[in-house]
Amino acid sequence: MSKNNDYDAIVIGGGHNGLVAAAYLARAGKRTLVLEKRHLVGGASVTEEIFPGFKFTVFSYVVSLFRPEIIRDLNLPAHGLTILPLESTLTPTYDGRDYLYRDGDHYQTLRNIARFSQRDADAYDEYARYMYFMAKAVRYILGIIPPDPTTFNPRDMMGMVDMARHFLDLPQDQLYVLAKLMTMSAADFVEQWFESEPLKATLSASGIIGTFLGPRSPGTAYVLLHHYMGEIDGAYRAWGFHKGGTGGLAETLARAARAQGAEIRCNAGVARVNVRNGRTVGVVLENGDEINAPLVFSSLDPKQTFLKLVEPTALPDDLVNAVRRFQTVGSSGKVNLALDRAPELACRPGVGRHLAGAISMSPTLDYIERAYDDAKYGNFSKEPYIDVIIPSMIDPDMAPPGKHVMSCFVQYAPYKLADGEWTDAKREAFGDAVVDVLERAFPDIRSLILHRQVLTPVDIERIAGITEGNIFHGELNLSQLFFLRPAAGHAKYRTPIKGYYQCGSGTHPGGGIMGAPGRLGALEALKDGA
Amino acid sequence: MSNNYDAIIIGGGHNGLVAAATLANAGKRVLVLEKRDVIGGAAATEELFPGYQVDTGVADAALFQDEIVQKLDLRRHGLTFHESSALLFAPQPDGRALTIWRDQPRTVAEIARFSERDAAQWPAFKQQVEQMTGLLRGMLLLTPPDLAGLHGGDLMAWGPLALRLRRLGGDDMMELMRVLPMATQAYLDEWFESDALKGALGGSAVIGTALGPRSAGTNLMFLYQNLGGLLNHRFVNGGIGRLSGALAAAAQARGAVIRTGAGVDKVLIEGDMEPTAVGVRLDSGEEIRAALVLSNADPRRTLFGLVGPTYLEPEVMNHVRNIIYRGTTARLNLVLSGLPQFVGQTDEAQLAGRIRVSPSLDYLERAYDASKYGRYSDHPYLEIFIPTVHDRTLSVNGDHIMTVTAQYAPYTLQEGDWEGQREAYTEVIMATLEAAAPGIRSLVRHSRAFMPPDLECIYGLTEGSIYHGQMGLDQMLVMRPIPEWSRYETPIRNLYLCGAGSHPGGGVTGAPGYNAARAALG
Repeated sequence: MSKNNDYDAIVIGGGHNGLVAAAYLARAGKRTLVLEKRHLVGGASVTEEIFPGFKFTVFSYVVSLFRPEIIRDLNLPAHGLTILPLESTLTPTYDGRDYLYRDGDHYQTLRNIARFSQRDADAYDEYARYMYFMAKAVRYILGIIPPDPTTFNPRDMMGMVDMARHFLDLPQDQLYVLAKLMTMSAADFVEQWFESEPLKATLSASGIIGTFLGPRSPGTAYVLLHHYMGEIDGAYRAWGFHKGGTGGLAETLARAARAQGAEIRCNAGVARVNVRNGRTVGVVLENGDEINAPLVFSSLDPKQTFLKLVEPTALPDDLVNAVRRFQTVGSSGKVNLALDRAPELACRPGVGRHLAGAISMSPTLDYIERAYDDAKYGNFSKEPYIDVIIPSMIDPDMAPPGKHVMSCFVQYAPYKLADGEWTDAKREAFGDAVVDVLERAFPDIRSLILHRQVLTPVDIERIAGITEGNIFHGELNLSQLFFLRPAAGHAKYRTPIKGYYQCGSGTHPGGGIMGAPGRLGALEALKDGA
Repeated sequence: MSNNYDAIIIGGGHNGLVAAATLANAGKRVLVLEKRDVIGGAAATEELFPGYQVDTGVADAALFQDEIVQKLDLRRHGLTFHESSALLFAPQPDGRALTIWRDQPRTVAEIARFSERDAAQWPAFKQQVEQMTGLLRGMLLLTPPDLAGLHGGDLMAWGPLALRLRRLGGDDMMELMRVLPMATQAYLDEWFESDALKGALGGSAVIGTALGPRSAGTNLMFLYQNLGGLLNHRFVNGGIGRLSGALAAAAQARGAVIRTGAGVDKVLIEGDMEPTAVGVRLDSGEEIRAALVLSNADPRRTLFGLVGPTYLEPEVMNHVRNIIYRGTTARLNLVLSGLPQFVGQTDEAQLAGRIRVSPSLDYLERAYDASKYGRYSDHPYLEIFIPTVHDRTLSVNGDHIMTVTAQYAPYTLQEGDWEGQREAYTEVIMATLEAAAPGIRSLVRHSRAFMPPDLECIYGLTEGSIYHGQMGLDQMLVMRPIPEWSRYETPIRNLYLCGAGSHPGGGVTGAPGYNAARAALG
C-alpha cells in the first residue's frame, strides 16, 4: 500500500453519472479511477443478456434528457453514441379494443386525437408549443450550479440575480404557465387543455414516472416538465432508444472516459471512504484493498454517500438529519419479457411501425390514480400503469431473429409493502398483474412469453444499488430540488469533507439519464483547484 | 338612476364589510349591496331554527387580523372574543381521546398518553410552526408583487418581510422553503409517530380543499390555518355574526349604507377601448352608479357572471375557467337536547374548542380518495363546534347547538346528484357522529344539512368552494385568483376583487377586503 496517491481522483459507482464525471476529470488531466461494484458498468443503465440471446435493457430503457454539451465535450458520437428515435406513442383504451396513436405525422396525429375529441385536437398544438417553451426556459437550470438564496456571498447573489433575470425575461404568459407547472398536479395541468381520457392520462403519466405520487397530486406537473426537458440533437421532447439499450450508452461513456485516460475497475465495490483530518484520502474496497486519492466522488445516492460510505459522525448533524429524511421510497418496478414472436395488439393487429414506439397502458386518469391509491397504502397496483417498449422492434440485435424483447416500466410497486417484505411469491404476483394488463391489449401475450424477469424496488436496490430502489435517487419534489437537493447548504456537489464530492442523481438537477450531475460535480471540483 | 356613492361593494360578506368600512374611513361614500336578508355571507349567525342562533358558515375567527380590529375600532362596535382552554378534542376509534389544551404542559402530558416521543417533540414542533406562521402572517396584509413586472414600489412593501426572512438566518430560511411546499403527511411524519396526533393536526391541512394529506402543498395550508397560533381558535361572543355586525356598524358609523335583499345582476361597464366599471344593475333592474366597484363575490362569479365575456380577453377567460374551485364540504347543523358524551371524554371543558374526527392521516387520505372519483366519503372527516358550551345565550331550553363540517363531499357526484344523495350523506355523517359520541342520535331536536350545491346557491360560492377557489400552491400569492390579476384589480378599470378569491385567500381574515380597499384607494 503506497503512501503516495495511487490516483488523482476516484469515482465511486460506474453508473452513467459516475462515468461522465470520470471522463470530465480525466479530460482535465486527472488520473482517474472508476470503481464499480458489479461486473459491468452502467448502474441503472445496463443491458444484460438475462436469457440466452435476449438482451434486456434491464432498468432504464429510453434516453431523452442526456445533455448535449456532454455529447459535444466528450465527442460521444465517435465512441459509439447511436440514438434511434422512438417516434410514436400508442395508448390502448381500457378494453384494448381502440387506441390513440400519436407519431411524427402531425396531421394524422391530430386526426387521431380528433376521433376522441375535436377540442383536444384543436388544443394540441398550443399545448405542444407551451411545453416546448417551458422546457426551453427551464433547461437553463440544468446547466447551472444552484445558488444559495440565503447567503450574501457575491457569487450566490449574482447567481440569484441571473436566474431571476432569466425567468423574468420570459414572456408573461410563459412565466405564468411556468409558475403553474412548478406547483400544479399533472392532471390539473393537462386538463387545462384537454378532455379526452387517453390523451390526458398518457400526457400526465410523464408526471408520475419515478415518483410516489398520483397524477392528481400537486407537484407532479413539475415531474412532467422534467421529462419534457430532453432534447436529442436539438429536437425537444424527442425520446430515443440507444442502440444496444441503455447499457449501450454506458459503454459509449466508458469508452469516452477511457479515451481520456480514465481507468475503470469492475467487481470493485467500495466499503468506505477514508477520511483523515476532515479530508478524504481515498477509499477502502469491500475486499479490504485501500486505494489512495485526494479526490473522491460518489455517484451513489445521498443516503449512501453520507450515511454509508463515511461515518455520519464526520458530518454536521443538520446534514445527517436532512439526508435521513430525504424522501427516497421507490415506487417503480420493471418487467422484462422474452417473446417467441412479435406480439400483436387487439386494437391494431399486425406487426409494424406502430410497435416500434411506446405503448402506454394509461387509458384514463382515474386508472392511474387508482393504481396510486393501491400503492399509497402499501400494495402494488392491481392494475398498474405500464410504459411498454419493444426494443427488438427498434434494434433487431436485442433478440434472436424473429424473437422479441419487451420492456415494461411499471407503476406502482412500493418499496415497502403493508403486509411485510417483498417475497418471491409477491414478486411473481406483481408480474402476473402486469401480464394481466398487457393481455387486454395484447391478447396472445401470455402464450408468447418465453422468459420473464420481474424487478421490484427491492430488486432495483439490490442489483443497481440505489437506496429503496428510487430511480431518481430521491423524489423530485419542490422540497428536494435545486438548492434543497439533497440538502440545504450542500447542494453544490461539495460535502463537508474536503476532497469528497457528490455527482449522482441525488444532486441538482436530479434523475433520469441526463449526465448533468456527473458533469457539474466534476466541474465544481475542478473549479476548487483540486 | 342615482349616483350618490363613490364606491359600491357587491356582497356583504365579512370581506365586503371590511372593504366598506375601510373605504368609509377614508371618507368615501359607500354602498354595500347584499343579496341575502342577512349580512356576513359565510360569517353569519342565523336563527336557523326558532330560538337558536347558529353560525351557519364559519365559526372560528382566530385568523381575523388584529390590525383591522384596531383600525376599524371594532371593539367599540361590540366585538369581543372568547378563547376556551381546550383547543382541540379528537375522539379515537379505540375509545380514547386526545385533547390539545391551550396550556402547553397539560398538552404534553396528554400527548404522552399516546406517545412519549411525540410528547417530547411537541414544544419544538409548536415553536417551529409558530416561527414560520409568525413570518407568513406578515404577508396577509401585503398586496402580492406583480410577477411579470417587478416594480420597486411593490417590492418596497415586501422589504421588511424580506428583511425578517434574512434575519432568520440561512438555516431557518431554507427550512421554511423546504417545508412550505411539502405534503403535510411528510412533514408530520418527520416529527411524530402517533396516528391520533398526526390525524388531529392533519385536518387543518386539508379542510376546505379537494386534497389529501399526501398532496404536495398541503403544508402551506396547514401553516395558513395555524396563522393565529398552532391549533388556536377564537370565538366571537354572540356568534360570528357579531363580527360582521361590528364591521357593518363601523362602516355605517362612517356613513356607509348597507342594503340587504339587493342582489346585483351586472356590473355596468362603459368604454370600448378601456372598459370601465361605472356602477351596477340590481336584480330588480335598478341601476346605481359609482366611481368604484368592489366585488366580494368569487372571481369566476364576478368575471363571468357580473362582467361577462364581452369585456374579457380570451387569455383571461381561460385563466378564470381554469381556477380550481372543487368544493368538498357539507354542513350539518344540529340542535341537541343535551351535551353529547364523546368517547374518551372526561370533562365538559374538552368540548369547548374544536372537535375533530380525523383519527389518522390514512383516515383523512381515504376520505379524500372517494372524492377523487366523485363519491362522498363513507367515513368523513368531521370538524365540529358546540358554541353553546361557552355561550348559552345562543340557544333556549338549555339545548346545545352543534355545527358539523363534513369532508369530503365533492360538488360533482359521479352518479346521481346531491338532491338524491342528501339524505344518504346526512346519514353517513350521523353514523360517524354516533360512533364518536354514542347516543347522540337520541339528542337531536333539529337538523338541517347543506350540501356543496346548497352552499353555492345560498352564499354564491362557486362549486361550494368555501375559500372562493382552492388554496393550493398553484393558486396562492401571485397566482391568486388568476395570473396577471393578483393585485385586487381586474381587467375592468375601477372594478376590484375584495373577496377570499384574492390574496391571501379564505378564512375569516378580513385581509382581502382590507387590501382591496387600500388598492382601490390607490
